[in-house]
Amino acid sequence: MFRRTTGITAVLAAAGLVAGTVVAVVGDATVASAATTVAATADTYVDDSATGTNHGTSGQLGVDGSPVKRMFLRFDVSGVSGTVTAAKLRVHTDDVSGAESGSGGTFRAMSTTTWSETGVTWNNQPAIDGATLGSIGSVTRNAWYEVDVTAHVKGNGAYSFGVTSSSTDGADFDARETGSTAPQLVITTGSTTPPPSGDPVLVGAGDIANSGSGDTATANLLDGIPGTVFTTGDDAYNNGSASDFANYYAPTWGRHRSRTRPVPGNHEYNTSGASGYYGYFGAAAGDPSKGYYSYDLGNWHVVALNSNCSAIGGCGAGSAQERWLRSDLAAAGKPCTIAYWHHPRFTSGANHAPYTAVGPLVQALYDYNAEVIVTGHNHHYERFAPINPAGQLDNARGIRHFVVGTGGAGFYGFGTILANSQVRNNNTFGVIKFTLHSSGYTWQFVPQAGKSFTDGGTTACH
Amino acid sequence: MSAPEPTPPPDGPAQQATPVEAVTPVEPVTRENPSPTTGSAEPGAPAQSGGPAGGGGPAEPGVPAEGGGPGGLGGLGRLVLAAGAAVVLAGAVVVYLLITRAGGPPPPPGPGPDGGARPGAGGASLRVLSNGVLSAVPLQRPDGPRTLTAQRCDRAYAAAGTIGCLRPVDPLGGTRLAVLDRDLRERRSIPLTGFPNRLRVSASGRMVAWTLFVDGHSYAASGYSTRAGILDTRTGALAGSLEEFALTVDGRPYRAADVNVWGVTFAGDDNRFYATMSTGGHRYLVEGDFTARTLRTVADRVECPSLSPDGTRIAFKAAVGGDPARGWRLSVMDVATGEVLALAETRSVDDQAAWLDDRTLAYGLQRSDGVNDVWAVPADGTGRPRLLVPGANSPSVEAPPGGP
Repeated sequence: MFRRTTGITAVLAAAGLVAGTVVAVVGDATVASAATTVAATADTYVDDSATGTNHGTSGQLGVDGSPVKRMFLRFDVSGVSGTVTAAKLRVHTDDVSGAESGSGGTFRAMSTTTWSETGVTWNNQPAIDGATLGSIGSVTRNAWYEVDVTAHVKGNGAYSFGVTSSSTDGADFDARETGSTAPQLVITTGSTTPPPSGDPVLVGAGDIANSGSGDTATANLLDGIPGTVFTTGDDAYNNGSASDFANYYAPTWGRHRSRTRPVPGNHEYNTSGASGYYGYFGAAAGDPSKGYYSYDLGNWHVVALNSNCSAIGGCGAGSAQERWLRSDLAAAGKPCTIAYWHHPRFTSGANHAPYTAVGPLVQALYDYNAEVIVTGHNHHYERFAPINPAGQLDNARGIRHFVVGTGGAGFYGFGTILANSQVRNNNTFGVIKFTLHSSGYTWQFVPQAGKSFTDGGTTACH
Repeated sequence: MSAPEPTPPPDGPAQQATPVEAVTPVEPVTRENPSPTTGSAEPGAPAQSGGPAGGGGPAEPGVPAEGGGPGGLGGLGRLVLAAGAAVVLAGAVVVYLLITRAGGPPPPPGPGPDGGARPGAGGASLRVLSNGVLSAVPLQRPDGPRTLTAQRCDRAYAAAGTIGCLRPVDPLGGTRLAVLDRDLRERRSIPLTGFPNRLRVSASGRMVAWTLFVDGHSYAASGYSTRAGILDTRTGALAGSLEEFALTVDGRPYRAADVNVWGVTFAGDDNRFYATMSTGGHRYLVEGDFTARTLRTVADRVECPSLSPDGTRIAFKAAVGGDPARGWRLSVMDVATGEVLALAETRSVDDQAAWLDDRTLAYGLQRSDGVNDVWAVPADGTGRPRLLVPGANSPSVEAPPGGP
């Protein structure tokens, strides 16, 4: 099995991530399987004898019991379809004297996948907190070794591995900087999952319409995606006036107005009371004195909030909006919840800092086990891991935050990248499409025509 | 690494501590293009495709800037700033104390598989930020082991034992200039308002200058506003806003409400400096005098100047076709003749470049996923860009104690 997989991989290898399909005859049955090889996207090691030093750019990875060295590997898996039937993590020992060891280390899963290759040191190393996946015994120099990690790698997404050793005789492996002997993940998949059902679709973005052409590109995407359209504010620049909506929004996203449930951004409130916005969308935007409302799609409760807090009496605990939100969530009676508004509570954007004023709204949604929050304001795409209201990884109850300010307005840069930020892009306009399953959701970032950046995944409801 | 004991190579599958399916060793997989992943470019590798402009700048030259620019928290949002500022500042003090306790000189590095030079181990260091963490790599081996500190900065610059650090901005746009000594002890702290953007320390380590965005966030958009200040660390003299200096344009006294100043670079006498001054659609190179509190225009279309160590040339970013919305070309101007040379870096550089020596410039470029890299390019228009420090920005050279 393994040799067949490798052979296919070798033939089809290209660009570090390859997918091939091979049809093998097993007895009388024909079984389709595909192998994908993914090179590590980040790898480094830490060393307790140099506690403030990062080795992310080194061509070598060390694992040792004395001094203690631990290896960290991350793989970003995408483009895999079907059920993962096997996943093998492969590492190659250095071709230098001393690379050999009586122990190649113990490989464990890690819950965090957002550590920085050039930022990890002994002092700040991420926790190796997952299940033990396997160990490698004695290793010689210049050879490949593999560990079965099928228990950890379930499909597309980011996966981290931590490697430790109690042997005082350290082993040295090649890092991804070496190229051909970089750590790799070989994933074999079986039958393809069934095509999407008729689950409801929610699709949209924020920071949309101005005199440029970005909103034209994203509106063209909406033409091919049925479902409910949402906005995350700054729908019409520069002031959300009636003429801004008529001149910029109406010719593009406006052709989907009848299926659009918007929220206002700060630019809408450049016009007093956001009257241009409420006038354009009418009842679909809710009460103009509030701007927040909710509705249901299938098994999902959908909440549209107004983060222009000072315009509606605040967003704090006890504010009218926060009290409404808590009662609305309490009465919703749906197993899954998604919410959207303009100002991001969490963002790595350089232009707008995380907006703490909406913290009480995030807390209320967390208290009621919501799944997803979508915002905009910073003009780019960012996706976070499921996190608690303090921004900490929380795979049990955490909310996945998205910033989707990619509706068409000019891009912004990123500043310091926050913990638990998983994916970012700022050169692609696009929309995010949520397929709302009965007990989970699939997200897909759909890029403008001619661009290749995308992002996607599936997560179960809490 | 630990001393390897001579171990006879195993003949069969390795001994395993836990049950695994291991083949030892297995046939290597042949891969045609083994290093396509992000950030794996090696020093000397050709320019990465699709690399957008530096942090805070337009991600793609040619993308139309948003009309009027973003309004910060918005007109209404700004009203809450004053009310909340005191609370946030109180919080910032607590954070600062924690950071200080966690700080201190980095521990002595130990042996590792890399061997070779260490930051601070005799040779000069390249100070950088690694995703907001003050770090250092050996200047002679910038892709080598990196020393990380507990100091957090949005922008940093080091020279002659003085480290300037603009602290991470809080939600209301507050930051602080921290002046650290070589051992990372904080000597001065000045509260400021705005988003950290540029930072310079004079070659002697005496003068510190900063630039913040106080409204808007991009030099490519219209409607932004900057504030630049200078601190004399020896006398404590502080110029909070260079816009207050007496300004002459083409030899005539000039006043206008739309004057913005940014991107200070110091001359060797710790008094003269250069900066950018914009007004009426022009972006001038100005020469300033800190003591006399004057600014005078020297040239037009010169942004974010950086004076060479020998004082003969100014590296700067030149708006492509005179239009910042199209991005910037890293260029060098001869101070004596005014002659301008475009450098070999053709990607849009929205940074104030730093001179590594009299022949080489370093600058930050941001990838489309927000990770920054420090690149270097010859200052004479020859050669090509090379990746200097992956996953870093805000470069500056720090000589060892007792060094030049």
